[in-house]
Amino acid sequence: MPVVDVDPDALRRFTGHDEKDDAELKEDLFGLGLEFEGETEDGEFQLEFAPDRLDRLSVEGVARSLRYQYGDDRGVYVPNTNDPDWTIEVDPSVPDERPFVTGAVIRDVNLDEAALDSLIQLQEKLHATMGRKRVKGAIGIHDLTMLKGRLASEEAGNSIQYVGVEPDEDRFVPLDSDRELTPGEVLTEHQTGKEYADIVADYERYPAIYDDIGLFSFPPVINGRRTEVDTDSRDLFVEMTGTDQWTIDKMLNIVCYALDARGATVEEVTVDYPDDPVYADESVERVDPGVDVVRPDLSTSEKHVTHDRIEGLLGVNFDPDEVVDLLERAGLDAATEETDDGALGYRVAVPPYRVDVLHPLDIVDDVGRAYGFNELDPQYPEVGTVGGRHDRSTLEDAVREQLVGLGFTDLLNFHMTNEAENYERMRVNPDEDDCLGAGEPVTITEPYSEDYTMVRTWALPSLAMVLENNTHRSYPQDIAEVGFAAEYDASEDSYVAERQTVAGALARHDASYEDAKAVLQSLARDFDVELETPRTEHPSFIDGRTASVVMDGEAVGVVGELHPAVLVEHDLELPVVAFEFGLEALK
Amino acid sequence: MQLPGTQVSVLEAASATDARSVTALADELGAKPETVVGAVFELENRCLLTVEERTEKRVALTDEGETYVESGLPEVRLYRAAVEAGATDDAISMGQAIGASGLEGDAVDIALANYARKGYGSIESGELTADPDADPDADGEATVLTALADGPVDAEDIEESVLDQLVSRDLVTVSESTERLVTLTDEGVTALMEGVEESETVGQLTPELLTSGDWQDVEFTEYNVEADAETRYGGKKHILRQTADRVKDVLVGMGFQEMEGPHADAEFWINDCLFMPQDHPARTHWDQFALDVPPMQDLPAELVDRVEDAHRNGVGEDGDGYHSPWTEEVARGVDLRGHTTSLSMRYLSGLAEGELEPPQRYFSVEKVYRNDTLDATHLLEFFQIEGWVMAEDLSVRDLMGTFTEFYEQFGITDLQFKPHYNPYTEPSFELFGEHPETGEIVEIGNSGIFREEVLRPLGVDCDVMAWGLALERLLMLTHGFEDIRDVHGTLVDLDFLRTEEVVH
Repeated sequence: MPVVDVDPDALRRFTGHDEKDDAELKEDLFGLGLEFEGETEDGEFQLEFAPDRLDRLSVEGVARSLRYQYGDDRGVYVPNTNDPDWTIEVDPSVPDERPFVTGAVIRDVNLDEAALDSLIQLQEKLHATMGRKRVKGAIGIHDLTMLKGRLASEEAGNSIQYVGVEPDEDRFVPLDSDRELTPGEVLTEHQTGKEYADIVADYERYPAIYDDIGLFSFPPVINGRRTEVDTDSRDLFVEMTGTDQWTIDKMLNIVCYALDARGATVEEVTVDYPDDPVYADESVERVDPGVDVVRPDLSTSEKHVTHDRIEGLLGVNFDPDEVVDLLERAGLDAATEETDDGALGYRVAVPPYRVDVLHPLDIVDDVGRAYGFNELDPQYPEVGTVGGRHDRSTLEDAVREQLVGLGFTDLLNFHMTNEAENYERMRVNPDEDDCLGAGEPVTITEPYSEDYTMVRTWALPSLAMVLENNTHRSYPQDIAEVGFAAEYDASEDSYVAERQTVAGALARHDASYEDAKAVLQSLARDFDVELETPRTEHPSFIDGRTASVVMDGEAVGVVGELHPAVLVEHDLELPVVAFEFGLEALK
Repeated sequence: MQLPGTQVSVLEAASATDARSVTALADELGAKPETVVGAVFELENRCLLTVEERTEKRVALTDEGETYVESGLPEVRLYRAAVEAGATDDAISMGQAIGASGLEGDAVDIALANYARKGYGSIESGELTADPDADPDADGEATVLTALADGPVDAEDIEESVLDQLVSRDLVTVSESTERLVTLTDEGVTALMEGVEESETVGQLTPELLTSGDWQDVEFTEYNVEADAETRYGGKKHILRQTADRVKDVLVGMGFQEMEGPHADAEFWINDCLFMPQDHPARTHWDQFALDVPPMQDLPAELVDRVEDAHRNGVGEDGDGYHSPWTEEVARGVDLRGHTTSLSMRYLSGLAEGELEPPQRYFSVEKVYRNDTLDATHLLEFFQIEGWVMAEDLSVRDLMGTFTEFYEQFGITDLQFKPHYNPYTEPSFELFGEHPETGEIVEIGNSGIFREEVLRPLGVDCDVMAWGLALERLLMLTHGFEDIRDVHGTLVDLDFLRTEEVVH
């Protein structure tokens, strides 16, 4: 979940509530769903919250939500914007994997250290969340005075160009560097470049932004040094590129709202797309070709929700006025309306920084939060149903009960393991052997740890590991597990054959084959199946003391004395007899 | 006749003519009185003895009585001093007499109170006379006290009026005790004449002893019944299984049916049906285990279309979709399930058990897999308790009521519902409750009402509320475990499993 660092003094200033002490602030923030996780070295609150309200990724957004909560603000607020002077021209050479761009000009911003830090944090947090680590959307913020626009057309003002370049076609000085590099060199030589190289690894051409002087930004990787923003910057150019127009537009809205809250003026930017754009992902939402797009798009969206749905879902009766009041306190605009079938409903306007409102249900949730969910009285639903267990789990339980009755300590082992434990240490060779446990493994695509690379094909290796880890404990150790195993099987829908398995091991100074067979006989009797144990061979067991477990005529497992090599491999200094068979056989 | 040793000794010590007390027999045999009593009753059962109970009143000195044995009764001392001072002839002053007697404090009052009563003389207007005929050596009370100095005496041996006086003066106490007196019967005498032998003591009760009836004549060797026995470990269900059983019992009792389904499943069931956008951060391999197998072959085509449409365009007239890529290829990828909500999806879609009509309640307590860092509170595999309720009209209050009821069964009360965000539920709540031991407020689950973007593609037209919770978390809360790795997996300590208190 996202964590945002917020200076409590800034929060007091932005909310206009100097009288709130830290404790009160924390409580109010918790009410919003922002949990206090701790403090930074500078005394900033570290606030954790669920990733729905990404408009709260900076102090300005958190303060806005608090003002609604306090009742200081009501309804939707939309900042004023000035008409566009700048244009972003999108060149047909732009990589078709990253065809979208958006932007805004910010005038008269007062960037002290704290404001600059807050802006950088907002940028980083948006990258991490909506931007999907810059893959889906990446933000570049530039000092406008360092840009030299080309004359876009006779009537319009300045323009910059979003283009695609060959990896080593051009050079620029990236941030945190003092020499010119090509985009290709940035990816191999620059720290930030290496970090984000994966995103553009498959691109034929790299995204680049030019002004009249030349290349000044290499999104989504790094900006050029020439346009670097510092505390002296007064006017900013914000550009965002990405794989989806809606996403970068919403990210832009959140940034514009934050800077507006700091007293800056937002100036629109025209985005001029080519007449026939090419998209790598054909399913992506298109922009209208040939139409100039003006950004930021601060229009509200509209949702319709019925009074019945609100009352039904929250289980509370409301006056319509009360609902409108709650919606306004949630920062929405609302008016009552009559639905097509004559019912009472609400037309709700949603501000342009909200990214989480997809469905009228999300509006109901806002009403609930404004009302206070903890104000609701729990009630047990008057719904009659009959409970019951699944056959498989009752069978598992019954077998487990019998094994416990026979004196076994019931185990619960991980289903994930690795090839060494599952095969090698048990002397099983999956490529050559055809025995229990030698099934083809279901492996994990990108294992995190070398201990867990596959799903176990049988349970006995887990039991052997438990014995290995408990050689300092008293004997006899009679252990058993009714558990899960799986192997690759092309005849299955999922290519994975899953099974429940019953495994047991008796580690005793005088353990012999008979001890294990006695357990099987007991189980066979308890579950009314016919048991035969014809001689077989299995690499984990001693030849001549190994049998196939045949229940009601079907070979379902193996029983025998574990091979000395397996015992020694597991540091065991006494005989172990063991068995494993499919649970289904006892059905 | 063969008898156990103690019974033989008692029989031989008893007499047919002289009733002997158990105390006396015990003294004589050097045995504990309770052992002799046991033998006496055994012998009575065999009709070799009769037992008569007699209640005896025993008189004994109190501490005060004991002091007078040595110093003499106060009134006697006063009389002797008065005689010495010549009070047999003329009255002397009381002060003179007391001074001469050496009496002090309470003893003065005691002497004066008993002096005239016992005829030692008269006390009048501060003057005291002594009766020359009085004989302090014949003082009845003093005599009895002296007699008691050697030990308690039967109350019958003391004159009643004297005893009453001594009792009222708190110089003696009377206690009742029951004494058993035994006398040999004729059979007893006959048995002795025919010869009684001591039977052997027996260490182990054997089948032979039982069948032959010899058990009646033997004595069993006494054991040290307080000593520790050898440690014994029976079979035992795994502590986590026990907890799972309990959860299942509670849920079945609340009307929930158990679900089951595949561990390895298509992402479609694990994530797409749950309205998790395909570029959701939790869908990267850092969070879930993708399996190296070909894509899932069979997915219901129409359902896939409806789910894709929900992702792209949303559900309902003014619903919006995600602005995220969606491909069937990703949906068909097979993973180890990251939650058992995949089972809920299979059931709600009708695929598992056919179309479901409300109302329904379903649950599972099954394993899930998360690519997390293994630490004290996180495992790569754990058990998830998953439950849902389907009904025509459900409200947030119904959700709260259901969970309040469930958690109360585990001693967790005062639930708090913190509004939360999940892609698949709205409203959503994190559940917090008070730790039954520490009183801390801790997170105990995640819940919500399934979004219409989840339900409508599945063909469900009513409301469904759901919740999830790690079973290990519940166990840690109710048992106070600190490190979950001690409990679950191959690193488990067998002694921990053997000795941990059972769940009930």
